[in-house]
Amino acid sequence: MTLIDPNRTLGESSVTPPGYRHDPAARLRPINWNRVGDDKDLEVWNRLTANFWLPEKVPLSNDLPAWQKLSEEERTLTMRVFTGLTMLDTVQATVGEICQIQDARTEHEEAVYTNIAFMQSVHARSYSSVFSTLTSTPEIDDAYRWAVSNDLLQERCKKVLVHYFGDDPLKRKVSSTLLSSLLLYAGFYLPLHFSVHATLTNTADMIRLILRDKAVHGYYSGYKYQRGLETHTRREQADMREFTYALLEELYELELHYSGELYEPLGLMDDVAVFVRYNANKALMNLGYPARFAPEETEVNPEILAALAPGADENHDFFSGSGSSYIIGKGEDTSDADWDF
Amino acid sequence: MTIINPEAPARTGIGARKDYHALNAQLNLFAPDGSIQFDKDREAAEEYLRQHVAPNTKQFGTVWERLEWLVANDYYEQAFLGAYPREFLIALHEHAEAAGHRFQTFLGAFKFFTSYALKTFDGTTYLEDFSERVVATALFLGQGDEALAARLVDEMMSGRFQPATPTFLNAGKAQRGELVSCFLLRLEDNLESIGRSVNSALQLSKRGGGVALLLTNLRETGAPIKKIQNQASGVVPVMKILEDSFSYANQLGARQGAGAVYLHAHHPDILRFLDTKRENADEKIRIKTLSLGVVIPDVTFQLAKENRDMHLFSPYDVQREYGTALSDLSVNDHYDDLVANPRIRKTTISAREFFKALAELQFESGYPYVLFEDTVNRANPLAGHINMSNLCSEILQVNTPSRYDAAIGYQEVGRDISCNLGSLNIAQAMASPDFGATVETAVRALTSVSDQTDVDAVPSVAAGNDASRAIGLGQMNLHGYLASQHIHYGSEEGIDFTDIYFLTVTYHAIRASNRLAIERGQTFDGFDSSSYADGSYFDKYTQRDWQPATARVRELFAAAGVAIPTRRDWEALRASVREHGIYNAYLQAIPPTGSISYVNNSTASIHPIAAKIEIRKEGKLGRVYYPAPHMTGENLEFYQDAYEIGYEKIIDTYAAATRHVDQGLSLTLFFRDTATTRDINKAQIYAWRAGIKTLYYVRLRQPALEGTEIENCVSCAL
Repeated sequence: MTLIDPNRTLGESSVTPPGYRHDPAARLRPINWNRVGDDKDLEVWNRLTANFWLPEKVPLSNDLPAWQKLSEEERTLTMRVFTGLTMLDTVQATVGEICQIQDARTEHEEAVYTNIAFMQSVHARSYSSVFSTLTSTPEIDDAYRWAVSNDLLQERCKKVLVHYFGDDPLKRKVSSTLLSSLLLYAGFYLPLHFSVHATLTNTADMIRLILRDKAVHGYYSGYKYQRGLETHTRREQADMREFTYALLEELYELELHYSGELYEPLGLMDDVAVFVRYNANKALMNLGYPARFAPEETEVNPEILAALAPGADENHDFFSGSGSSYIIGKGEDTSDADWDF
Repeated sequence: MTIINPEAPARTGIGARKDYHALNAQLNLFAPDGSIQFDKDREAAEEYLRQHVAPNTKQFGTVWERLEWLVANDYYEQAFLGAYPREFLIALHEHAEAAGHRFQTFLGAFKFFTSYALKTFDGTTYLEDFSERVVATALFLGQGDEALAARLVDEMMSGRFQPATPTFLNAGKAQRGELVSCFLLRLEDNLESIGRSVNSALQLSKRGGGVALLLTNLRETGAPIKKIQNQASGVVPVMKILEDSFSYANQLGARQGAGAVYLHAHHPDILRFLDTKRENADEKIRIKTLSLGVVIPDVTFQLAKENRDMHLFSPYDVQREYGTALSDLSVNDHYDDLVANPRIRKTTISAREFFKALAELQFESGYPYVLFEDTVNRANPLAGHINMSNLCSEILQVNTPSRYDAAIGYQEVGRDISCNLGSLNIAQAMASPDFGATVETAVRALTSVSDQTDVDAVPSVAAGNDASRAIGLGQMNLHGYLASQHIHYGSEEGIDFTDIYFLTVTYHAIRASNRLAIERGQTFDGFDSSSYADGSYFDKYTQRDWQPATARVRELFAAAGVAIPTRRDWEALRASVREHGIYNAYLQAIPPTGSISYVNNSTASIHPIAAKIEIRKEGKLGRVYYPAPHMTGENLEFYQDAYEIGYEKIIDTYAAATRHVDQGLSLTLFFRDTATTRDINKAQIYAWRAGIKTLYYVRLRQPALEGTEIENCVSCAL
């Protein structure tokens, strides 16, 4: 039994488990959700847990007729877009979110990132559910081979990974936010486009569930970045700003090449490029920076923009699917007064 | 860098964008001045008709040429057209076209041409517009009666009456499914009944109906089979079989088969039944697309009030002890008896925990529906016990069991339930030149569907239909009508209107059915033991003069020229009904009216709107946006949505209608994501106390987390 100084707060006299790597001698403390310093942690935690879902709930097999109607070209595009998304979600689940735990500003943030990391794995897994429902093993293997051999996809991942494994916590946050709010979205264009045109609507339901999560993930990393940035000198802040816009520029160029290869054959690239710029601005907004692209460069098609709203509840019919608006509710016991009749 | 290539050829595959989708989506995005862009939606409708429909519609020289071609090429049935003279057919088509129908919204037009209009077999060319579909439906339902066909054309072209989807979709077509919307089958506790029901579910799905099945009588998990204990596997595996059956069968691809299963709250498998909808349920027991409903008697509420355990009773033992199936026994009346009987195996769960589990599942999945068993049976005019409802929770009729031999042939054909529906648009009906005639025409149209329906693949359904001639006259556009009259939904005047409107419809519906009985010299089977026959059904209308409570509602009816039946009218009707009977065992049922209310430009059913701009997602439509009918920039304040209005006002409105409706009314509960299971339970208690018969979905709205919403999005600005 080691007595601790009653005049110091627990936060000052102990560390959370990730702190062990810096100071193995420090006293460890368990996470305490009864003392929440930053209400945003609780708000985001509650939102993420209420929105928990698994791909098994979506009746993807109802999309088989629509899948069979797609042309060879369209199927290949879909497979590749989803494999690309699987790649990015794998990066986020296994490295991107986990590596931010060590930088947490509050102990609750550590817990939030474990949740986010898990959901990223769920997302990566959910594309596989689409594949195994709609396609065959050789086609899936082809798509994975394509992902491994595609230089642009590899470069997109490595451009952020280098910062994840680097030693600057703020650069990690910027990279992660850009991945969540920018890179992933070019991939979402296709299922959103499908959902407007009544193709693969159950897959689109699933993507809406993913979008619902991603909107929160990108927002949260951006928010925590801003809290971190506030503690730095103006000089350091200016450096970070420069870093952010430079990385954005690199990723944007890469994105146009990568998405161009994918979407150009279907004639969708002009629209996708606008969508990428729109999301680049959105990522910057999450990080607290002004837009990089002018409004006229980011006029997303109304049907895609309207479909992007993460909270909008669709009024689905029970002949078509399970919808994407249900959440895990808060249990609360009824009291005698409620039964007073 | 830029990849933009202005020379790129126009795409035709999935890469093609459509102008009208972009225009329609702008409904969900505010204009720069912050107003809702209604004009963009009208533009979308026009562009859709111009760019897509007109170029893809087959042109004919004359009405007659068109009809001959359609019959010769096997698109229309010959028989229903042949029942009329050629001149009449031509004149009726011209009459309908002259009505100058226009779609008010993009979704209305899009839905009609995507889902209802007759197309060539290759799916590329339209062979009907709205008025032609109306005429085909009217002629089919008229069965050669020129006056009825002509009246039906007027009722439908004016939007006063709109048949339900299966009728409007199929009438007159040579390649078609059934005209009936809903089927309800009961299962008995033997493998033959289960097997037969799976077959029936397949057959009925193929023909286009939603099918509900009653599982209450199936023996529970662990019950004996051939006296050997712990053998039965309960209701869940049967649910899995049914779910897969519905996925397999669909109506010529027109819509996916859909089914519901009902279970009594005091069945021992009740929690297993509910857990199939859990987010983390194992794949073997997870139910994705099957809808669930729970039948709750009054005693369950009483037990919860006293915070006691509720007993669950083995249906296997009940059958042996009472000689009757659990579904045909009033658990409420026999509860103490059942508890005291040592020969009935029972388990217990906390009644309040049961209600809480119910609410948890409703949060996660919107299910189960709820049927208040004793409320329903008290209001049932027929002899017999009602034990289930249908896919939309508005059909409430009595049934009787069938018995099968080992080869699942019928030893005894019981009565299962079917119901065909059609709804009045309240705003249009109030503007009818003859309100009573509008109701009567609707009743005759629905009766015609029943008369012309013979589901030979499921003899118990055919037998039930022959005996009952049940129909379900529905209503829609209540909210749209009230808002157009500057009355708030759920206000005193709103509830008063609902009460008197339904009273008046009920009077005319019974009168129409009475006239049918007189004309045909025939009543439904079981009339003699009904409360119509002894006149007690009419007590509530003859014991007092039931008139509007508010001046505003009196004015509305007076201004519309719609007479409210007086006590003497009711007494006269009672006398005629007692003497001649009525033709239909059941007359009214208020469905949720999804698709047809878009085509008809109505707010759905008697619900408040779900949103000012509703986001509709369907397998065949994709994601589209629908503005609340009759809404303008000026009357927005009367278009509060269901989440803002709250459950009390919705339930009060439904309660006012429920008093007059012999069957049920689909009632959805709407909650914000800040609600807890307790809020849902409180709403259920409130509904049960208000005399509501059934509850349909629970819908939840979760606004985007602050900071993550899309700028300028109408559906985000709540």
